[in-house]
Amino acid sequence: MGRYIIRRLLSVIPTLIGVTLIIFLFQRIIPGDPAVAMLGERATEENVARIREQFGLDRPAFLDRDALAEGDLGGFFDSQYIRYFNRLIRLDLGESIHSRIPISESLKERFPATIELSLLSMFIALLIGIPVGIASASRRNSALDGITMVGSLVGVSMPIFWLGIMEIMLFAVLLKWLPAGARLSTGIEIKTITGLLLFDSLITGNFPGFVDALQHITLPAVALATIPTAIITRMTRSSMLDVLQEDYIRTATAKGLSERIVLFRHALKNAFLPVITVIGIQAGILLAGAVLTETIFSWPGIGKWVYDAILGRDYPIVQSVTLLIALIFLMVNLLVDLSYAFLDPRISYD
Amino acid sequence: MTEMNLSPGEIEDFAVREHRSLWLDAWRRLKANRTAIIGLIVVLIFLLSATIAHFFWEYEPKIDLDYSAKLLPPNLRVSEQSLKIHPFGTDKLGRDIFRRTVHGGWNSLRVGLVAVSISLVVGGILGLLAGFFESIEMYFWESMALMAFLGLALGALPAWIANQIFQVFLFCALGIISVIVDKKNLSKHIRRYLFAGLGLLAGGLSGLLVAPLVGLVCGILGLGIGLLLAIPVGGKIFSNIVMRIMDIILAFPSYLLAIAIVAFLGPGLEKGMLAIGFVGIPIYARLARSAVLSVSQKEYVLASQAVGESHGRMLFRHIVPNILSPIIVQATMGLANAILSAAALGFLGLGAIPPEPEWGSMLGDSYKYLSSGAWWAVLFPGLAIMLSVLGFNLLGDGLRDALDPKLRI
Repeated sequence: MGRYIIRRLLSVIPTLIGVTLIIFLFQRIIPGDPAVAMLGERATEENVARIREQFGLDRPAFLDRDALAEGDLGGFFDSQYIRYFNRLIRLDLGESIHSRIPISESLKERFPATIELSLLSMFIALLIGIPVGIASASRRNSALDGITMVGSLVGVSMPIFWLGIMEIMLFAVLLKWLPAGARLSTGIEIKTITGLLLFDSLITGNFPGFVDALQHITLPAVALATIPTAIITRMTRSSMLDVLQEDYIRTATAKGLSERIVLFRHALKNAFLPVITVIGIQAGILLAGAVLTETIFSWPGIGKWVYDAILGRDYPIVQSVTLLIALIFLMVNLLVDLSYAFLDPRISYD
Repeated sequence: MTEMNLSPGEIEDFAVREHRSLWLDAWRRLKANRTAIIGLIVVLIFLLSATIAHFFWEYEPKIDLDYSAKLLPPNLRVSEQSLKIHPFGTDKLGRDIFRRTVHGGWNSLRVGLVAVSISLVVGGILGLLAGFFESIEMYFWESMALMAFLGLALGALPAWIANQIFQVFLFCALGIISVIVDKKNLSKHIRRYLFAGLGLLAGGLSGLLVAPLVGLVCGILGLGIGLLLAIPVGGKIFSNIVMRIMDIILAFPSYLLAIAIVAFLGPGLEKGMLAIGFVGIPIYARLARSAVLSVSQKEYVLASQAVGESHGRMLFRHIVPNILSPIIVQATMGLANAILSAAALGFLGLGAIPPEPEWGSMLGDSYKYLSSGAWWAVLFPGLAIMLSVLGFNLLGDGLRDALDPKLRI
């Protein structure tokens, strides 16, 4: 198994290089002059020069064959991509074109907001999806099962940005039950420790802060949780149904074990593997879905940031956030794969 | 002896069962599934209304403007407030939302259809070839074509560096030689030395014509390429290369990648189609490959191989028809996803260029004046997205049960 883990870890490297390549290629597909596209027609000479320098636009994309022909081996490798790659290795994400704030700094500020939203959504999805999936599998073809199946299909088909808008319309504008937009009401402050407001306010014993943060996060978290909830429910149900047909379940039932013990001790354990895979995939979808959800709820995380960056053609931000989300997605999938090695003794590696 | 009184009809029933094709069987199962039929009807309504509206209901978005009728709530009767019937109300420019929703369907559904076609064709072919050659040995000329192509692709780098197109053909020839020499038994070591040397000469000598340093770099590259080409690669390696590239695309959450691509390309329906189509390729490639891998172990494929059928015939007569069902199901569900992604792009302002109607961008426009309480301006376009996506999902779900009863759980 040790060899399997090492092999799986090594297999990430070419994928990582491919990911940086794709993200680099983004800046090559900008139609026209990228510097003009980012700054607009009326950009000052100085700004254009700055952008050209930051992206290395006066250098060739990958390799400089002219420099090589002149005998300059260093110049041969001095290209846009290799500069980009070098900076990435040094964890330098560049700076925003318009505000000139280093991207890694803004990221530190904004990322916790997205993480908090995604974690809470995942929590909601698991809290609803797994029990409902188990219940509808154990009462197959019942009314509950029918409602679950239709409900989960509706959930999968839901455009979450629309759901978010309708939530704001209903709960914030018409009923005025919950606030929409921002993470806290003005006037309420929470001491920052991890940046996750719910967590920080609990630790510092700031109860009003906790309630306020919870009120603000509820609507976006529910919107973002819709699709993962639906998918996790479906997966739990179908995986449970698969397992419930196995011989050992029949044996356990024949032995006279109660339905609850059969369901939870024998079936659930074995049905959980495919569910874990789906949870891993959902992690990426949650982060990507944050772009839409955060835009609607003016949630100050990386999703809203990307939306603003797209509007302002602040391309380095779009590149960095895409890269970050791809990295997290890769890591989560890696963890899922590795967890298989521990969880399922039937699969032999090597 | 008892006499058997059987009418001709009954005898027929026992003796000859009515011939039913697999597809007819599937259609019968689909018809019996109520939710699938609901999905089918929803899908048909959307497709028909969008097509009919596009061709027979004139709409000129550029001149559609009526400030006297802005933000009217839905009404089904003519009244003093609104002189025309607006079943879905009007938006802030006084445009009839019903009309724009129906016409928007043409754009939204078209993006989905074209995008899925792109990913289906490209991904399907890649996966088909990868799976086929992974499980069935290549012919002599097939592996020659593969090696020639590999030579071309790898040789492109030194050729570009030295700015000498003929280098590409040198490496292409090297690939072909590698397959031909394979027939005669040379030991692996000798082959490696031989091809590394040949590659070094091909890259290095031609590079030297330009400049000494170019010769050095091209020579090193040529040496490496020669080593790679020394042993003809089988289908397994081809399949590995294809799937590795697919893995890279899969490393991104798919619609985030689509959003990023369109963000850089600039807004537009065609660009959305391309981006959503591109990010969908790996799903079909993986699906087609795994389906081919399982089908090609079946007896009928082995039999056709034993009889000596050509690879093209095996592929199109025996393998493709048998992997169609999972692909059809995936394509139907994929349509639902593509419509959702297209709407997301439109919502972010990366879809149809205004004033062109499109569901996502209609939502994106009207959510900005949400506080005015114009719920109808966001409800109906969103409902159109949700219902059409739900329709395709219901249909896909039903198709899965109908096409592959074994999968039914």
